[in-house]
Amino acid sequence: MLEAFRMRMFFFLGVVTLVIFVIVVQIINLQLIRGDEYREKSRMNMENYVPIPAARGEIYDRNFNPNAKSVVIVSNRPSFNVTMVPSNFKKKDEYRTVMRRLCKLLALPYDETVEGIAKLNPWERVTIKEDVDFNSIVTLATHQDKFPFIDWEASTVRVYNFGNMFAHAVGYTGSISREEFKKLRNFGYRHYQKVGKAGLESEHDILLRGSDGYIRRIVDVRKRTDVEEVGLHPVSGSNMVLTIDYEIQRIAHEAMEAHPKGSVIVMKAASGEVLSLLSKPDYDPNLIISKDNVTTIKDLMEDKERPFLNRAIMSKYPPASTFKLMTAIAALESERWDPATQLYCPGKYTLKGYVDKDFFCYDVHGTNNMEWAICKSCSVYFYQVGLRTTPTRILEYAGYFGLGEKTGINLPGEIPGFIPSGKWKQKTFGQTWYDGDTVNLSIGQGFISATPIGMAAFVSGIVNNGIIFKPNLVREVRSQDNRRVVQTFRPVKMREIPLSQRTLAVVKNGMRMVVASGTASRLSGLKVPVAGKTGTAQTRSKRMEDASQHAWFVGYAPFDAPPEQAIVVVVMVEYGVAGAATAVPVAERIFGKLLSQGYFNAEKK
Amino acid sequence: MLKRNEIYKIDYLLVVAMALIVLIGILMIYSAGFDPIEKVNSGLFKKQLLWFIIGFVLMIALTFVNYNWLGDYSLHIFIVILLMLLFTVIFGRPVRNSKAWITLGVLSIQPSEFMKLSLIIILAKYLELREMEIGHFRELVIPALLTFVPIIIILLQPDFGTALVFIPILFTMLFVGGADITHLVSIILIATIATVVPMVITYREWVGEESANMLLDLFKNTDLIFVISGVLILIALAAFILHFFFVKKFYRRIYVPASVMSMGLFFSVIIMKYLKEYQKKRLLVFLNPDLDPHGSGYNVIQSKIAVGSGGFLGKGFLKGSQAQLGFLPEKSSDFIFSVVAEEWGFIGSIVLVGLLGVIIYKGIYIALESKDKFGALLASGITTFFFFHMLINIGMGIGIMPVTGLPLTFVSYGGSNLIVSMMCIGILINIRMRKFVY
Repeated sequence: MLEAFRMRMFFFLGVVTLVIFVIVVQIINLQLIRGDEYREKSRMNMENYVPIPAARGEIYDRNFNPNAKSVVIVSNRPSFNVTMVPSNFKKKDEYRTVMRRLCKLLALPYDETVEGIAKLNPWERVTIKEDVDFNSIVTLATHQDKFPFIDWEASTVRVYNFGNMFAHAVGYTGSISREEFKKLRNFGYRHYQKVGKAGLESEHDILLRGSDGYIRRIVDVRKRTDVEEVGLHPVSGSNMVLTIDYEIQRIAHEAMEAHPKGSVIVMKAASGEVLSLLSKPDYDPNLIISKDNVTTIKDLMEDKERPFLNRAIMSKYPPASTFKLMTAIAALESERWDPATQLYCPGKYTLKGYVDKDFFCYDVHGTNNMEWAICKSCSVYFYQVGLRTTPTRILEYAGYFGLGEKTGINLPGEIPGFIPSGKWKQKTFGQTWYDGDTVNLSIGQGFISATPIGMAAFVSGIVNNGIIFKPNLVREVRSQDNRRVVQTFRPVKMREIPLSQRTLAVVKNGMRMVVASGTASRLSGLKVPVAGKTGTAQTRSKRMEDASQHAWFVGYAPFDAPPEQAIVVVVMVEYGVAGAATAVPVAERIFGKLLSQGYFNAEKK
Repeated sequence: MLKRNEIYKIDYLLVVAMALIVLIGILMIYSAGFDPIEKVNSGLFKKQLLWFIIGFVLMIALTFVNYNWLGDYSLHIFIVILLMLLFTVIFGRPVRNSKAWITLGVLSIQPSEFMKLSLIIILAKYLELREMEIGHFRELVIPALLTFVPIIIILLQPDFGTALVFIPILFTMLFVGGADITHLVSIILIATIATVVPMVITYREWVGEESANMLLDLFKNTDLIFVISGVLILIALAAFILHFFFVKKFYRRIYVPASVMSMGLFFSVIIMKYLKEYQKKRLLVFLNPDLDPHGSGYNVIQSKIAVGSGGFLGKGFLKGSQAQLGFLPEKSSDFIFSVVAEEWGFIGSIVLVGLLGVIIYKGIYIALESKDKFGALLASGITTFFFFHMLINIGMGIGIMPVTGLPLTFVSYGGSNLIVSMMCIGILINIRMRKFVY
């Protein structure tokens, strides 16, 4: 044959050899060099992990007894979720028909539901509706031909047994948001899980949530299952016993019913245990988690009264006359003032200066010493105490008591109060600190502000002879079966302010006199000696309006017992008429309940 | 006529290699058809066995007919099959979006597969007849027509992959048959420029890469490409005219590359305008399957996972998770090699590639040893047919070739392809046997 033909055939032979060589090299590369990598990928293809949700811990009040019927604040209720894998539907028509039928059954808006599902990965299981009523599940089960590929799975729903009552203390849960997931993924959270959104549900989420287990399934490309086994058993979340007493919370809630806005804190001075904490307006957590009441939630979210704001820890107000206690402490501790000093109150005080300025008292109080000035809340007396003590010292003591910082209560979102300073004023207003500012400061008006929880800590510091504990809402954490105590929350000492017995005696006597014959005399009828102080904070913006005042009551009982038994009560009513008229009746009911619950009975508790 | 002792000259190695490959194929079709969840088999392997028997009969038949007879009737065969192809396009019922089948009772056949063999026969005959004149450019017109008429009909079916194999068959046979290398290289260059330019541009647009390359940016402007193409053709014309008057090699060296460049760019614009977006992307996904992991790249990624996860010894028969659990698509046809690689590992893949190699090398050997030009061309065409099916199918499975949906000769499920391939083996044996018959 022709030599040219042979040459060209040999060239072709060369090409063939080269190609086979390349193929073999690539096979070696895939199977031998990168074999492990691809084996891992093929394993990931066929394995599918189906989570087994862990039961979330229950929440009880402080009187929980594992062997008796106890108050359950938050529990779980078994429920059903309706789910499906969208890619199981091979025909669009069929999908639409089934979805239309299903949305009708579950009372869902068709367009929104289908749009929502379209955004998700069609190969993964989608929850169409949570907490579906049992009758709908029965309908689904008996009419499988009409609802192909629609599944349901057992789940649980959180039940807030007392609705609004514990809204701000306990909070609520919800599906993890994208932002939360980014933050929490390193702590083992998964995108499909629920997470505490507010209150203790959020603060102690890790304790309550437990850890999900999973079922390991070998699945094919259409997610049909071949082999199924439990890969990891779920670990239930721990139960939580609160320091809150249901009875006290209930009474506080009832007493606050009449007031649209405000907050109450009841706290043991010697440990920081919170017996009651509530904020108005509030909301029903059950409504938030039910999800099918979208408009209600939206209304709540957009409500100008901000029901989600926990006013006990997230709002600050001028402490008003309750701050006179601070002025007194600063004056006495710095030995700038003799408590026996008598001053005459003509109803106003004129501050001498470039232009004279009058500062008024709400009454003509006559001649008083310090205790009587506290009792009658005489501002004229305290103007002069404040001027003598100097603002630096007053603010210094406000700082010692932590009014400018967070108390550290175990609730999310706490804000600190605010302690001004000369430097701050210069920076913010470009003015120096005037004597007029001092006069305002000495009666808790002007720049200073405090949160209700901050005030509770302050009062507990007076009661406790200078020691302030971290406010705490959790007594102990128990195992899921309640047999074991997993964790106990011990009192944490936050501050220790050296206060002389003389100072404490003057302030406490003054507070006792407030109740005995002063602005809170309504409380004198109780069978326990109460001490306290009222305040009427003036808000700047609405000074001229009738209800432009916030009513404060801070106090404790029993007056004469050792601090270990003392319970601090702080009542704050926004736009209340005056401390005495609005806040004191609330405090009265709380002290009454504390009494009947035996909190002041030294032998019993 | 064939003498009795010629039966001993049957190339047994070829037959054994083929039989082994078909056996591997049937086992793999059994495995691919098995559903481990429902515990049932699709039963395709039984059909393949039936096709094998039919193919075997036809193979034996073709062994005993003098292959020159095929050459004599090559045009008749070609026309008959061309008419069958036309029939599919006009009357065929679409199966998986392609009208490629003619149904005869329970059996369906795919004329496009038979067209491959028919084209090889008619090209071999033509090239044998025009052995002396094939060096002229005009002699390439008829082979090109013979190839592109069926290609166009197959593209109408549409079956892109099958149409694609005709081109390498044509080029290899022209090359082996003695066509001028400059002509072939020019044509290949034109085709390369015409496809590479639009692909690069589509790629950069798709990936959204900030272009740092000024030259490539210029190419985005199709008008500019037309201008460049026009200028080049003018240069080529000028050089050609000069060459006409003063026959100097220098001018030829200008007008040949200039016209090649010009035509390449011209066709690239045509392709850019008329190729649909998804078609361009499909070619690109081949270059980088990660571009579209849920779409067309999915197949390649899953196939590479199947091959790679097989490792050295494989996962075992019926135990390949990629194949058994359906992650591997088209597992009994396009991606059957990946099933072999997954279940029988490196050993299995190398044995299969080796056996296919034996057939291809045997084919080349038979072409070289053939007593006449027709036999040599026929054998080389058949070898090319086997070779490109192997290159594209296995190359696709291991991610070095685009996903074009070609069966792996003797292994993939598909009656027509198996029958035609076995007929080809029959012809190869025939050529080998008649080496000493004059």
